[in-house]
Amino acid sequence: MLAITPNTLSNFMNSLSRYVILLSLAFISLSIFLIIFLENDYYQGISFKIMFIHVPTAWLSLAIFLVMGISSIIGLIFKSPTAFTVARSLSPIGLIMSIIVLVTGSIWGNLTWGAYWVWDARLTSMLILAFIYLGHILLLHSFEHFQKADFAASILAIIGLVNLPIVKFSVDWWTTLHQESSVLRMGGPSMTNDYLITLLVSFLGIFMLTIFWFSNIFYIIVEKRKIERSILLND
Amino acid sequence: MRIIKLNNQIKKRFIFLLIIFACFSASIFLISYSLKDQIAYFVEPTDLKSMDGIENKYLRVGGLVKTNSLKFLDGNWIFEVVDQNQNSVNVVFSKTLPNLVEENKGIIVEGKFIDNIFVAEIVLAKHDENYMPQSAIDKLKEEGKWRGN
Repeated sequence: MLAITPNTLSNFMNSLSRYVILLSLAFISLSIFLIIFLENDYYQGISFKIMFIHVPTAWLSLAIFLVMGISSIIGLIFKSPTAFTVARSLSPIGLIMSIIVLVTGSIWGNLTWGAYWVWDARLTSMLILAFIYLGHILLLHSFEHFQKADFAASILAIIGLVNLPIVKFSVDWWTTLHQESSVLRMGGPSMTNDYLITLLVSFLGIFMLTIFWFSNIFYIIVEKRKIERSILLND
Repeated sequence: MRIIKLNNQIKKRFIFLLIIFACFSASIFLISYSLKDQIAYFVEPTDLKSMDGIENKYLRVGGLVKTNSLKFLDGNWIFEVVDQNQNSVNVVFSKTLPNLVEENKGIIVEGKFIDNIFVAEIVLAKHDENYMPQSAIDKLKEEGKWRGN
């Protein structure tokens, strides 16, 4: 990461992005097909199928923050512009993912629990995660020089890392209305294999879409800086 | 391969970040540890035994709906919330129950104790993390491995 300039990473991802988007569309259409023909849950009926959007986006909103936090650490310690740009291009994706999690979660909650929103530990910590993403974006846009913005925003991302284990383990540490983890837990997944495979296919689709989206945002930032630099040099 | 020299400045930045992160996570840990009773969304019937002054206090109690206890009498739902230690609470609820409230399934009731009966104002169904189709349950039942109702 230290020897990689933003430009080389942008070119590398750009050369792969058409394959990534094709894979993503293939996985997403396969998962829609699987979800439609999947048997309903014995207890929740059809409403549990929201899980196939809710769970992958929830994993991704946590994973994106983890990558953001780690690249902010690398950026701050080694003064790496590539790492800062990675963090900068990930936060809008993470914000959208966490909003999707909250919206699908509250629809699912209304269908099963009988409430759109409660202030239990899982829901509240997830809302805090969304606010940290929002704060990260706002910090990035509130400085005149992008180096200063990167510094401030990466401190927020590193502090925000503390929230990740709280979101993940809130259902184990405290009593919550939200159910416990079904897949990433001790003792293996607590769902049948057809559900698990559908979940993984839909996760891969949304994951590939994230990679594609990320490479586009990264490309735009790099090209915008090139233009700004050439304007500065010509003046 | 380029060898990264850990010069003094990099070391300083690393320690600076480590201190920030350690202080912040320690403070979050202390806050959430001391507020753990407030963060917990509900208490179980067993916890109620060691709590004093629960009469007229607004509480959330969670557990399973006891088998053969769910009844509709005089416009009220009456049921028992039971936990793993077989301690139970009698609940009265006068509104519509959520769809997923069933016997031997998770439930959270919100309200007050009045004369040792829990008068619920809000009832939420709590489903667990197990998902399976009816066909898988039928298969388990055939093999005699099904432990639900």
